[in-house]
Amino acid sequence: MTQSKALAYHQSLTGALEQAQWQSLTRRGALRTAVVAAGGATVMLTGPALIGYRSAMAQDFAGPVDVLNYALTLEHLEYTFYRTFNQQFSGMELEMAGFASIVRTRLESIEAHELAHVDVLTDVIGQLGGTATTEMMYSFGVTDVASYVATAGVLENLGTGAYTGAAQFLIDNDDLLTAALTIHGVEARHASYLNVLNGTSPFPEAFETALTPAQVLEAATPLIVGAMPDTGTGSTANDGGTSLGILAAAGAMGIGAAALAARRRESRSDEQAMPAGV
Amino acid sequence: MPALHTLFLEAISEERAHSVSRRTLFGSGAKLVAGGAVAMAAVASPAFARVAAAQDFSNDIDVLNYALTLEHLEYAFYRDGLASFSAGLFEDGVYDNLVDIRDHEDAHVVALVDTIVSLGGTPVAEAVYDFGYQNVAGFLSVAAALENTGVSAYDGAAAAIENVDLLNAAGTIVAVEARHASYLNFVNGDDPFPSAFETPLTPTQVLEIATPFFVQ
Repeated sequence: MTQSKALAYHQSLTGALEQAQWQSLTRRGALRTAVVAAGGATVMLTGPALIGYRSAMAQDFAGPVDVLNYALTLEHLEYTFYRTFNQQFSGMELEMAGFASIVRTRLESIEAHELAHVDVLTDVIGQLGGTATTEMMYSFGVTDVASYVATAGVLENLGTGAYTGAAQFLIDNDDLLTAALTIHGVEARHASYLNVLNGTSPFPEAFETALTPAQVLEAATPLIVGAMPDTGTGSTANDGGTSLGILAAAGAMGIGAAALAARRRESRSDEQAMPAGV
Repeated sequence: MPALHTLFLEAISEERAHSVSRRTLFGSGAKLVAGGAVAMAAVASPAFARVAAAQDFSNDIDVLNYALTLEHLEYAFYRDGLASFSAGLFEDGVYDNLVDIRDHEDAHVVALVDTIVSLGGTPVAEAVYDFGYQNVAGFLSVAAALENTGVSAYDGAAAAIENVDLLNAAGTIVAVEARHASYLNFVNGDDPFPSAFETPLTPTQVLEIATPFFVQ
Protein backbone atom coordinates (compact mmCIF):
# COMPACT_ATOMS: atom_id res chain seq x y z
CA MET A 1 0.00 0.00 0.00
CA THR A 2 1.14 3.50 -0.59
CA GLN A 3 1.71 6.23 1.87
CA SER A 4 -0.23 8.66 -0.28
CA LYS A 5 -3.36 6.58 -0.20
CA ALA A 6 -3.19 6.31 3.54
CA LEU A 7 -2.69 10.01 3.76
CA ALA A 8 -5.58 10.62 1.42
CA TYR A 9 -7.78 8.52 3.64
CA HIS A 10 -6.87 10.52 6.67
CA GLN A 11 -7.31 13.74 4.78
CA SER A 12 -10.79 12.71 3.86
CA LEU A 13 -11.45 12.02 7.51
CA THR A 14 -10.00 15.34 8.43
CA GLY A 15 -12.08 17.08 5.84
CA ALA A 16 -15.20 15.52 7.21
CA LEU A 17 -14.12 16.63 10.60
CA GLU A 18 -13.32 20.20 9.90
CA GLN A 19 -16.98 20.83 9.50
CA ALA A 20 -17.82 19.00 12.66
CA GLN A 21 -15.16 20.88 14.56
CA TRP A 22 -16.28 24.18 13.16
CA GLN A 23 -19.74 23.38 14.33
CA SER A 24 -18.45 22.30 17.68
CA LEU A 25 -16.82 25.67 18.15
CA THR A 26 -20.17 27.28 17.91
CA ARG A 27 -21.84 24.75 20.08
CA ARG A 28 -19.04 23.84 22.43
CA GLY A 29 -21.38 24.36 25.29
CA ALA A 30 -23.88 22.37 23.33
CA LEU A 31 -21.54 19.45 22.83
CA ARG A 32 -23.10 17.95 25.86
CA THR A 33 -26.45 18.50 24.28
CA ALA A 34 -25.33 16.61 21.22
CA VAL A 35 -24.21 13.81 23.44
CA VAL A 36 -27.44 13.90 25.29
CA ALA A 37 -29.14 13.58 21.94
CA ALA A 38 -26.96 10.58 21.15
CA GLY A 39 -27.65 9.31 24.62
CA GLY A 40 -31.29 9.95 23.96
CA ALA A 41 -31.20 7.12 21.50
CA THR A 42 -30.09 4.96 24.34
CA VAL A 43 -32.74 6.32 26.59
CA MET A 44 -35.27 5.18 24.05
CA LEU A 45 -34.07 1.67 24.64
CA THR A 46 -35.38 1.78 28.13
CA GLY A 47 -38.63 3.12 26.83
CA PRO A 48 -41.29 1.23 25.01
CA ALA A 49 -39.03 -0.82 22.83
CA LEU A 50 -35.64 -1.32 21.34
CA ILE A 51 -37.17 -0.67 17.96
CA GLY A 52 -36.76 2.85 16.78
CA TYR A 53 -33.13 3.22 17.72
CA ARG A 54 -31.03 3.92 14.70
CA SER A 55 -27.87 5.79 14.08
CA ALA A 56 -28.50 8.43 11.50
CA MET A 57 -25.28 7.65 9.68
CA ALA A 58 -26.11 4.54 7.71
CA GLN A 59 -24.70 6.15 4.60
CA ASP A 60 -21.32 6.87 6.18
CA PHE A 61 -19.48 3.96 4.68
CA ALA A 62 -19.33 2.78 1.11
CA GLY A 63 -18.62 -0.78 2.11
CA PRO A 64 -17.01 -3.12 4.62
CA VAL A 65 -13.49 -1.99 3.77
CA ASP A 66 -14.39 1.53 4.82
CA VAL A 67 -15.89 0.29 8.05
CA LEU A 68 -12.81 -1.77 8.79
CA ASN A 69 -10.52 1.16 7.97
CA TYR A 70 -12.52 3.28 10.36
CA ALA A 71 -11.90 0.68 13.06
CA LEU A 72 -8.26 0.39 12.03
CA THR A 73 -7.77 4.14 12.34
CA LEU A 74 -8.73 3.89 15.98
CA GLU A 75 -6.74 0.73 16.60
CA HIS A 76 -3.59 2.34 15.19
CA LEU A 77 -4.18 5.27 17.49
CA GLU A 78 -4.65 3.02 20.50
CA TYR A 79 -1.74 0.71 19.78
CA THR A 80 0.67 3.59 19.22
CA PHE A 81 -0.58 5.19 22.39
CA TYR A 82 0.18 2.16 24.58
CA ARG A 83 3.42 1.34 22.80
CA THR A 84 4.64 4.89 23.31
CA PHE A 85 3.74 5.28 26.94
CA ASN A 86 4.47 1.74 28.08
CA GLN A 87 7.94 2.51 26.79
CA GLN A 88 8.03 5.95 28.33
CA PHE A 89 6.80 5.03 31.80
CA SER A 90 8.41 2.21 33.73
CA GLY A 91 6.62 -0.15 36.05
CA MET A 92 8.39 1.63 38.86
CA GLU A 93 6.94 4.95 37.77
CA LEU A 94 3.48 3.43 37.72
CA GLU A 95 3.96 2.20 41.25
CA MET A 96 5.31 5.56 42.33
CA ALA A 97 2.09 7.04 40.99
CA GLY A 98 0.14 4.74 43.28
CA PHE A 99 -0.78 1.88 41.00
CA ALA A 100 -0.36 -1.76 41.98
CA SER A 101 2.43 -3.59 40.19
CA ILE A 102 -0.03 -5.70 38.19
CA VAL A 103 -1.23 -2.56 36.41
CA ARG A 104 1.95 -2.57 34.34
CA THR A 105 1.17 -6.10 33.16
CA ARG A 106 -2.38 -5.12 32.32
CA LEU A 107 -1.27 -2.13 30.26
CA GLU A 108 1.14 -4.34 28.35
CA SER A 109 -1.65 -6.80 27.76
CA ILE A 110 -3.85 -4.04 26.38
CA GLU A 111 -1.02 -2.95 24.11
CA ALA A 112 -0.73 -6.52 22.80
CA HIS A 113 -4.48 -6.63 22.17
CA GLU A 114 -4.46 -3.41 20.21
CA LEU A 115 -1.58 -4.70 18.12
CA ALA A 116 -3.49 -7.92 17.44
CA HIS A 117 -6.47 -5.81 16.35
CA VAL A 118 -4.27 -3.72 14.06
CA ASP A 119 -2.71 -6.81 12.51
CA VAL A 120 -5.98 -8.58 11.92
CA LEU A 121 -7.78 -5.58 10.50
CA THR A 122 -4.84 -4.80 8.23
CA ASP A 123 -4.73 -8.39 6.99
CA VAL A 124 -8.41 -8.55 6.33
CA ILE A 125 -8.61 -5.24 4.54
CA GLY A 126 -5.82 -6.41 2.30
CA GLN A 127 -7.51 -9.71 1.67
CA LEU A 128 -10.72 -7.89 0.81
CA GLY A 129 -8.76 -6.02 -1.85
CA GLY A 130 -8.75 -2.77 0.06
CA THR A 131 -5.98 -0.45 1.17
CA ALA A 132 -5.39 -0.55 4.87
CA THR A 133 -4.78 2.78 6.51
CA THR A 134 -1.42 2.98 8.23
CA GLU A 135 -0.10 4.31 11.48
CA MET A 136 0.15 8.07 11.63
CA MET A 137 1.90 10.48 13.94
CA TYR A 138 -0.08 11.43 16.98
CA SER A 139 -0.04 13.89 19.78
CA PHE A 140 -1.73 12.71 22.94
CA GLY A 141 -0.88 15.44 25.41
CA VAL A 142 0.22 12.94 28.02
CA THR A 143 2.53 14.45 30.63
CA ASP A 144 2.70 11.92 33.43
CA VAL A 145 1.47 8.53 34.57
CA ALA A 146 -1.84 9.88 35.79
CA SER A 147 -2.60 11.55 32.48
CA TYR A 148 -1.48 8.39 30.68
CA VAL A 149 -4.02 6.30 32.54
CA ALA A 150 -6.72 8.96 32.29
CA THR A 151 -6.19 9.27 28.54
CA ALA A 152 -6.21 5.52 28.15
CA GLY A 153 -9.62 5.50 29.77
CA VAL A 154 -10.89 8.13 27.38
CA LEU A 155 -9.57 6.27 24.34
CA GLU A 156 -11.04 2.92 25.38
CA ASN A 157 -14.45 4.36 26.15
CA LEU A 158 -14.35 6.19 22.85
CA GLY A 159 -13.39 2.98 21.05
CA THR A 160 -16.20 1.07 22.68
CA GLY A 161 -18.70 3.70 21.62
CA ALA A 162 -17.27 3.68 18.12
CA TYR A 163 -17.65 -0.07 17.64
CA THR A 164 -21.09 0.06 19.22
CA GLY A 165 -22.12 2.63 16.67
CA ALA A 166 -20.43 1.05 13.67
CA ALA A 167 -21.32 -2.63 14.02
CA GLN A 168 -24.58 -2.00 12.20
CA PHE A 169 -22.68 -1.20 9.00
CA LEU A 170 -21.55 -4.82 8.85
CA ILE A 171 -25.04 -6.26 9.13
CA ASP A 172 -24.80 -7.70 5.63
CA ASN A 173 -21.58 -9.53 6.44
CA ASP A 174 -22.29 -11.96 9.23
CA ASP A 175 -18.73 -13.06 9.79
CA LEU A 176 -17.29 -9.57 9.68
CA LEU A 177 -19.98 -8.44 12.06
CA THR A 178 -19.20 -11.24 14.47
CA ALA A 179 -15.50 -10.59 14.22
CA ALA A 180 -16.01 -6.87 14.88
CA LEU A 181 -18.07 -7.69 17.93
CA THR A 182 -15.31 -9.88 19.31
CA ILE A 183 -13.08 -6.81 19.22
CA HIS A 184 -15.85 -4.58 20.55
CA GLY A 185 -16.20 -6.69 23.68
CA VAL A 186 -12.50 -6.51 24.42
CA GLU A 187 -12.48 -2.72 24.04
CA ALA A 188 -15.35 -2.61 26.52
CA ARG A 189 -13.35 -4.79 28.92
CA HIS A 190 -10.40 -2.42 28.64
CA ALA A 191 -12.68 0.57 29.22
CA SER A 192 -14.19 -1.03 32.29
CA TYR A 193 -10.80 -1.75 33.84
CA LEU A 194 -9.41 1.68 33.05
CA ASN A 195 -12.46 3.31 34.58
CA VAL A 196 -11.68 1.39 37.76
CA LEU A 197 -8.10 2.65 37.68
CA ASN A 198 -9.37 6.16 37.11
CA GLY A 199 -11.79 5.95 40.00
CA THR A 200 -14.97 6.08 37.97
CA SER A 201 -17.70 3.54 37.45
CA PRO A 202 -16.58 0.65 35.25
CA PHE A 203 -20.07 0.54 33.77
CA PRO A 204 -21.77 3.92 34.04
CA GLU A 205 -24.87 3.04 32.06
CA ALA A 206 -27.12 0.03 31.49
CA PHE A 207 -26.75 0.58 27.75
CA GLU A 208 -23.58 1.60 25.97
CA THR A 209 -23.80 4.89 24.12
CA ALA A 210 -23.34 4.30 20.41
CA LEU A 211 -21.19 7.01 18.88
CA THR A 212 -21.51 8.01 15.27
CA PRO A 213 -18.41 8.13 13.09
CA ALA A 214 -18.68 11.92 13.07
CA GLN A 215 -18.63 12.05 16.84
CA VAL A 216 -15.72 9.66 17.06
CA LEU A 217 -13.67 11.37 14.41
CA GLU A 218 -14.34 14.74 15.92
CA ALA A 219 -12.74 13.44 19.06
CA ALA A 220 -9.91 11.48 17.49
CA THR A 221 -8.75 13.67 14.64
CA PRO A 222 -7.08 16.35 16.75
CA LEU A 223 -4.81 13.60 18.03
CA ILE A 224 -3.60 12.82 14.52
CA VAL A 225 -0.87 15.29 13.61
CA GLY A 226 0.29 13.90 10.29
CA ALA A 227 1.68 11.06 8.26
CA MET A 228 4.66 9.06 9.33
CA PRO A 229 7.89 10.05 7.62
CA ASP A 230 8.56 8.15 4.41
CA THR A 231 11.36 6.23 6.08
CA GLY A 232 8.63 4.54 7.99
CA THR A 233 10.87 4.38 11.02
CA GLY A 234 10.06 7.73 12.51
CA SER A 235 9.19 7.92 16.12
CA THR A 236 5.83 8.99 17.28
CA ALA A 237 5.32 12.52 18.34
CA ASN A 238 3.63 12.81 21.64
CA ASP A 239 5.11 15.93 23.05
CA GLY A 240 4.21 19.52 22.56
CA GLY A 241 0.64 18.59 21.88
CA THR A 242 -2.38 19.84 23.63
CA SER A 243 -5.04 17.88 25.35
CA LEU A 244 -7.62 19.34 23.05
CA GLY A 245 -8.41 16.06 21.40
CA ILE A 246 -8.68 14.26 24.66
CA LEU A 247 -10.94 16.92 26.01
CA ALA A 248 -13.07 16.64 22.92
CA ALA A 249 -13.15 12.91 23.39
CA ALA A 250 -14.08 13.37 26.98
CA GLY A 251 -16.75 15.80 25.91
CA ALA A 252 -18.11 13.30 23.45
CA MET A 253 -18.63 11.01 26.37
CA GLY A 254 -20.16 13.65 28.54
CA ILE A 255 -17.10 13.90 30.75
CA GLY A 256 -16.18 17.42 31.67
CA ALA A 257 -12.60 18.63 31.76
CA ALA A 258 -12.93 19.20 35.47
CA ALA A 259 -14.08 15.64 35.94
CA LEU A 260 -11.15 14.46 33.87
CA ALA A 261 -8.75 16.41 36.04
CA ALA A 262 -10.43 15.09 39.14
CA ARG A 263 -10.01 11.60 37.80
CA ARG A 264 -6.35 12.19 37.33
CA ARG A 265 -6.05 13.28 40.92
CA GLU A 266 -8.03 10.30 42.08
CA SER A 267 -6.23 7.78 40.00
CA ARG A 268 -4.22 6.55 42.91
CA SER A 269 -4.31 3.18 44.51
CA ASP A 270 -7.77 2.23 43.31
CA GLU A 271 -6.47 -1.11 42.32
CA GLN A 272 -4.65 -1.41 45.59
CA ALA A 273 -7.96 -1.10 47.31
CA MET A 274 -9.20 -4.09 45.41
CA PRO A 275 -8.92 -7.70 46.51
CA ALA A 276 -5.45 -9.06 46.92
CA GLY A 277 -4.01 -11.13 44.15
CA VAL A 278 -5.30 -8.97 41.34
CA MET B 1 -17.31 -13.72 -4.75
CA PRO B 2 -15.06 -15.94 -2.68
CA ALA B 3 -15.80 -16.28 1.00
CA LEU B 4 -14.40 -12.92 1.94
CA HIS B 5 -14.78 -13.14 5.62
CA THR B 6 -13.45 -16.62 6.00
CA LEU B 7 -10.17 -14.86 5.53
CA PHE B 8 -10.96 -12.55 8.38
CA LEU B 9 -11.93 -15.45 10.54
CA GLU B 10 -8.81 -17.36 9.73
CA ALA B 11 -6.65 -14.38 10.48
CA ILE B 12 -8.30 -13.87 13.81
CA SER B 13 -8.20 -17.55 14.54
CA GLU B 14 -4.49 -17.46 13.99
CA GLU B 15 -4.13 -14.49 16.32
CA ARG B 16 -6.10 -16.27 18.95
CA ALA B 17 -3.99 -19.37 18.64
CA HIS B 18 -0.95 -17.21 19.16
CA SER B 19 -2.32 -15.49 22.18
CA VAL B 20 -3.48 -18.76 23.69
CA SER B 21 -0.11 -20.37 23.27
CA ARG B 22 1.58 -17.24 24.61
CA ARG B 23 -0.56 -17.45 27.68
CA THR B 24 0.33 -21.07 28.15
CA LEU B 25 3.98 -20.20 27.83
CA PHE B 26 3.62 -17.71 30.60
CA GLY B 27 1.86 -20.30 32.66
CA SER B 28 -1.15 -18.15 33.31
CA GLY B 29 -3.83 -20.26 31.79
CA ALA B 30 -7.42 -19.29 32.29
CA LYS B 31 -8.78 -20.33 35.62
CA LEU B 32 -11.66 -22.69 35.69
CA VAL B 33 -14.61 -20.76 36.89
CA ALA B 34 -18.03 -22.11 37.65
CA GLY B 35 -19.72 -23.09 34.47
CA GLY B 36 -16.44 -23.47 32.69
CA ALA B 37 -17.11 -20.59 30.37
CA VAL B 38 -13.60 -19.32 30.45
CA ALA B 39 -12.11 -22.76 29.96
CA MET B 40 -14.38 -23.28 27.03
CA ALA B 41 -13.39 -20.00 25.54
CA ALA B 42 -9.73 -20.75 25.86
CA VAL B 43 -9.69 -24.37 24.89
CA ALA B 44 -12.71 -26.09 23.53
CA SER B 45 -14.46 -23.62 21.34
CA PRO B 46 -13.23 -23.33 17.78
CA ALA B 47 -13.06 -19.60 18.09
CA PHE B 48 -14.37 -18.60 14.76
CA ALA B 49 -15.95 -21.72 13.53
CA ARG B 50 -18.89 -20.41 11.67
CA VAL B 51 -21.42 -19.37 14.18
CA ALA B 52 -24.38 -21.70 14.10
CA ALA B 53 -26.73 -18.99 15.24
CA ALA B 54 -28.28 -18.32 11.88
CA GLN B 55 -30.01 -21.66 11.77
CA ASP B 56 -30.74 -21.71 15.48
CA PHE B 57 -33.23 -18.90 15.29
CA SER B 58 -36.24 -18.60 13.04
CA ASN B 59 -36.61 -14.84 13.51
CA ASP B 60 -35.54 -11.84 15.54
CA ILE B 61 -38.04 -12.57 18.28
CA ASP B 62 -36.28 -15.89 18.84
CA VAL B 63 -32.97 -14.12 19.22
CA LEU B 64 -34.47 -11.62 21.63
CA ASN B 65 -36.01 -14.40 23.71
CA TYR B 66 -32.66 -16.15 23.79
CA ALA B 67 -31.08 -12.97 25.11
CA LEU B 68 -33.97 -12.50 27.53
CA THR B 69 -33.47 -16.02 28.88
CA LEU B 70 -29.95 -15.07 29.88
CA GLU B 71 -30.90 -11.65 31.20
CA HIS B 72 -33.60 -13.18 33.42
CA LEU B 73 -30.99 -15.58 34.75
CA GLU B 74 -28.54 -12.78 35.46
CA TYR B 75 -31.04 -10.41 37.02
CA ALA B 76 -32.43 -13.10 39.33
CA PHE B 77 -28.90 -14.08 40.29
CA TYR B 78 -27.95 -10.58 41.44
CA ARG B 79 -31.34 -9.74 42.93
CA ASP B 80 -31.39 -12.81 45.14
CA GLY B 81 -27.68 -12.87 45.88
CA LEU B 82 -27.49 -9.25 46.94
CA ALA B 83 -30.56 -9.75 49.10
CA SER B 84 -28.83 -12.61 50.91
CA PHE B 85 -25.40 -11.05 51.46
CA SER B 86 -24.76 -7.83 53.32
CA ALA B 87 -22.57 -5.15 51.84
CA GLY B 88 -19.96 -5.59 54.56
CA LEU B 89 -19.07 -9.04 53.26
CA PHE B 90 -17.58 -7.53 50.11
CA GLU B 91 -14.41 -5.56 49.52
CA ASP B 92 -14.85 -1.80 49.49
CA GLY B 93 -16.95 -0.59 46.60
CA VAL B 94 -17.75 -4.02 45.24
CA TYR B 95 -21.26 -4.25 46.63
CA ASP B 96 -22.25 -0.91 45.12
CA ASN B 97 -20.95 -2.00 41.74
CA LEU B 98 -22.90 -5.24 42.02
CA VAL B 99 -26.02 -3.22 42.71
CA ASP B 100 -25.34 -1.30 39.50
CA ILE B 101 -24.90 -4.55 37.61
CA ARG B 102 -28.15 -5.87 39.05
CA ASP B 103 -29.95 -2.73 37.92
CA HIS B 104 -28.42 -3.03 34.45
CA GLU B 105 -29.66 -6.59 34.08
CA ASP B 106 -33.08 -5.45 35.21
CA ALA B 107 -33.06 -2.71 32.58
CA HIS B 108 -32.05 -5.25 29.94
CA VAL B 109 -34.90 -7.54 30.95
CA VAL B 110 -37.42 -4.71 30.79
CA ALA B 111 -36.19 -3.47 27.42
CA LEU B 112 -36.20 -6.95 25.89
CA VAL B 113 -39.65 -7.80 27.24
CA ASP B 114 -41.08 -4.54 25.92
CA THR B 115 -39.50 -5.05 22.55
CA ILE B 116 -40.67 -8.64 22.16
CA VAL B 117 -44.19 -7.60 23.06
CA SER B 118 -44.11 -4.69 20.64
CA LEU B 119 -43.03 -7.07 17.90
CA GLY B 120 -46.02 -9.28 18.65
CA GLY B 121 -44.03 -11.99 20.37
CA THR B 122 -44.34 -13.66 23.73
CA PRO B 123 -41.45 -12.96 26.08
CA VAL B 124 -40.09 -15.90 28.03
CA ALA B 125 -40.71 -15.66 31.76
CA GLU B 126 -38.23 -15.82 34.58
CA ALA B 127 -37.57 -19.40 35.66
CA VAL B 128 -36.49 -20.94 38.95
CA TYR B 129 -32.75 -21.15 39.34
CA ASP B 130 -30.19 -22.72 41.60
CA PHE B 131 -26.77 -21.16 41.33
CA GLY B 132 -25.15 -23.40 43.88
CA TYR B 133 -23.00 -20.82 45.63
CA GLN B 134 -22.38 -21.11 49.35
CA ASN B 135 -20.68 -17.85 50.13
CA VAL B 136 -19.57 -14.53 48.72
CA ALA B 137 -16.56 -16.04 46.98
CA GLY B 138 -18.76 -18.59 45.24
CA PHE B 139 -21.26 -15.91 44.35
CA LEU B 140 -18.58 -13.75 42.73
CA SER B 141 -17.21 -16.72 40.84
CA VAL B 142 -20.61 -17.58 39.38
CA ALA B 143 -21.16 -13.90 38.58
CA ALA B 144 -18.03 -13.85 36.46
CA ALA B 145 -19.02 -17.05 34.69
CA LEU B 146 -22.46 -15.64 33.90
CA GLU B 147 -21.11 -12.37 32.55
CA ASN B 148 -18.39 -13.93 30.44
CA THR B 149 -20.92 -16.38 29.05
CA GLY B 150 -23.31 -13.53 28.37
CA VAL B 151 -20.76 -11.72 26.23
CA SER B 152 -20.05 -14.85 24.23
CA ALA B 153 -23.76 -15.51 23.81
CA TYR B 154 -24.49 -12.07 22.40
CA ASP B 155 -21.43 -12.23 20.15
CA GLY B 156 -22.55 -15.61 18.85
CA ALA B 157 -26.14 -14.56 18.23
CA ALA B 158 -25.76 -11.04 16.86
CA ALA B 159 -25.25 -12.19 13.28
CA ALA B 160 -28.66 -13.84 13.36
CA ILE B 161 -30.39 -10.50 13.93
CA GLU B 162 -31.93 -9.14 10.76
CA ASN B 163 -33.31 -5.84 11.95
CA VAL B 164 -30.60 -3.17 12.12
CA ASP B 165 -32.25 -1.37 15.02
CA LEU B 166 -32.28 -4.55 17.04
CA LEU B 167 -28.66 -5.17 16.14
CA ASN B 168 -27.76 -1.70 17.39
CA ALA B 169 -29.64 -2.32 20.57
CA ALA B 170 -27.92 -5.66 21.12
CA GLY B 171 -24.60 -3.90 20.62
CA THR B 172 -25.39 -1.46 23.40
CA ILE B 173 -26.16 -4.36 25.73
CA VAL B 174 -23.23 -6.62 24.92
CA ALA B 175 -20.70 -3.87 25.59
CA VAL B 176 -22.13 -3.45 29.06
CA GLU B 177 -22.00 -7.21 29.63
CA ALA B 178 -18.33 -7.09 28.63
CA ARG B 179 -17.74 -4.27 31.09
CA HIS B 180 -19.36 -6.38 33.80
CA ALA B 181 -17.29 -9.41 32.81
CA SER B 182 -14.07 -7.41 32.94
CA TYR B 183 -14.87 -6.09 36.39
CA LEU B 184 -15.91 -9.45 37.79
CA ASN B 185 -12.80 -11.14 36.46
CA PHE B 186 -10.87 -8.37 38.16
CA VAL B 187 -12.71 -8.82 41.45
CA ASN B 188 -12.06 -12.57 41.26
CA GLY B 189 -8.36 -11.97 40.78
CA ASP B 190 -8.47 -13.08 37.16
CA ASP B 191 -7.37 -11.29 34.03
CA PRO B 192 -10.09 -8.77 33.11
CA PHE B 193 -9.35 -9.27 29.40
CA PRO B 194 -7.82 -12.71 28.89
CA SER B 195 -7.77 -12.58 25.12
CA ALA B 196 -7.45 -10.01 22.35
CA PHE B 197 -10.78 -11.27 20.97
CA GLU B 198 -14.01 -12.42 22.57
CA THR B 199 -15.14 -15.94 21.84
CA PRO B 200 -18.60 -16.18 20.30
CA LEU B 201 -20.53 -19.19 21.54
CA THR B 202 -23.40 -20.93 19.81
CA PRO B 203 -26.73 -21.22 21.59
CA THR B 204 -26.02 -24.91 22.08
CA GLN B 205 -22.77 -24.12 23.86
CA VAL B 206 -24.37 -21.41 25.95
CA LEU B 207 -27.27 -23.59 26.96
CA GLU B 208 -24.86 -26.31 28.01
CA ILE B 209 -23.30 -23.82 30.39
CA ALA B 210 -26.56 -22.33 31.61
CA THR B 211 -28.82 -25.37 31.86
CA PRO B 212 -27.43 -26.62 35.19
CA PHE B 213 -28.64 -23.37 36.76
CA PHE B 214 -32.25 -24.07 35.82
CA VAL B 215 -34.35 -25.95 38.37
CA GLN B 216 -36.91 -28.13 36.69
